[in-house]
Amino acid sequence: MLRWSIGLAGACALAGYVNVVAKPIAFAGGYTVMAEYGAGTMTEEQFFYAPRYDLSFGGGHVELDSDETAKTRRISYARLNYLLHRWNLDDAQGSLFVWGGLGSATGNTFKGSVLAESAGAQADYETRRIYASFKTDWQGSSAFSHRIDTLQLGLAPYRHDYGGLATWFLIQARQYTGAIHRGTESAVLLRLFKGGVWVEAGVTNGGKLQAMAMLNF
Amino acid sequence: MDFLPRILIALLCVAASTSATATTIEMNVNGLVCAFCAQGIEKQLRKFPATADVIVSLEKKLVAVALRDDQDIPDTDLRRALTNAGYTVKAIERTQTPLAELRECLRQGKP
Repeated sequence: MLRWSIGLAGACALAGYVNVVAKPIAFAGGYTVMAEYGAGTMTEEQFFYAPRYDLSFGGGHVELDSDETAKTRRISYARLNYLLHRWNLDDAQGSLFVWGGLGSATGNTFKGSVLAESAGAQADYETRRIYASFKTDWQGSSAFSHRIDTLQLGLAPYRHDYGGLATWFLIQARQYTGAIHRGTESAVLLRLFKGGVWVEAGVTNGGKLQAMAMLNF
Repeated sequence: MDFLPRILIALLCVAASTSATATTIEMNVNGLVCAFCAQGIEKQLRKFPATADVIVSLEKKLVAVALRDDQDIPDTDLRRALTNAGYTVKAIERTQTPLAELRECLRQGKP
């Protein structure tokens, strides 16, 4: 419990000085489905339902495959997301989310399945032309501790409007702890969305595919 | 030569917006920058039985609701709906501008 609390506090603290990725809460009564392929190192699927505009719950599954060692992690979790604060400005919007959850993990460096805890935070700021986001996501157990920090900065070549196609060019920097990937993995991405469908794809500095898809409904 | 039609559309927009009986609710909304995130606005507003149609314009920071005949939606309900969608209402105005005209005004870039 103490480790969970420390993890959440740490995540909140990190989010306080940086900026995000796709939002884990859509709108009151809305569903969010996300899937991400992170350069062969991280693969994640999530599904959330938001009974309120500031709260959502659901679950996910993340697979971590170290590119330094043969280490693997398979974590399935239930998660609660909370919108800590939103800034609705004249020409911009900022949001601060936190989350926590419990799940079950397996891996090839320990036996059987263990209780897994998760905590994280996400902060974002966007206008119709610029985008900045930071996400920190921690998964831990008695057998491991991994944190994934992701920073994205984006620029839109034009101001999209409701019903039209939005196009964004992004750069992403990502760091893993716990010997999953050494150093900072960077990527250039193209993001497109229209209606309730969002897709983004690009390539990392290691020449690997980085892709994400999301649906809101 | 497209000078005259533009003037006519502008005059039509101004004349329609100053009439008395409300057929449309126009809301000035803060935080309206992402179309993907703004879908909730339409979903929330279409839940009201009085709603006939909805327009969202990021460019004008505008959300407009066409009302069914002789129906209205209280301001408190409108503000709650926009809050549930994740946004903040700055101002609410009732006009007689039909939504089709408003849509055309927005397309033409008129105020």
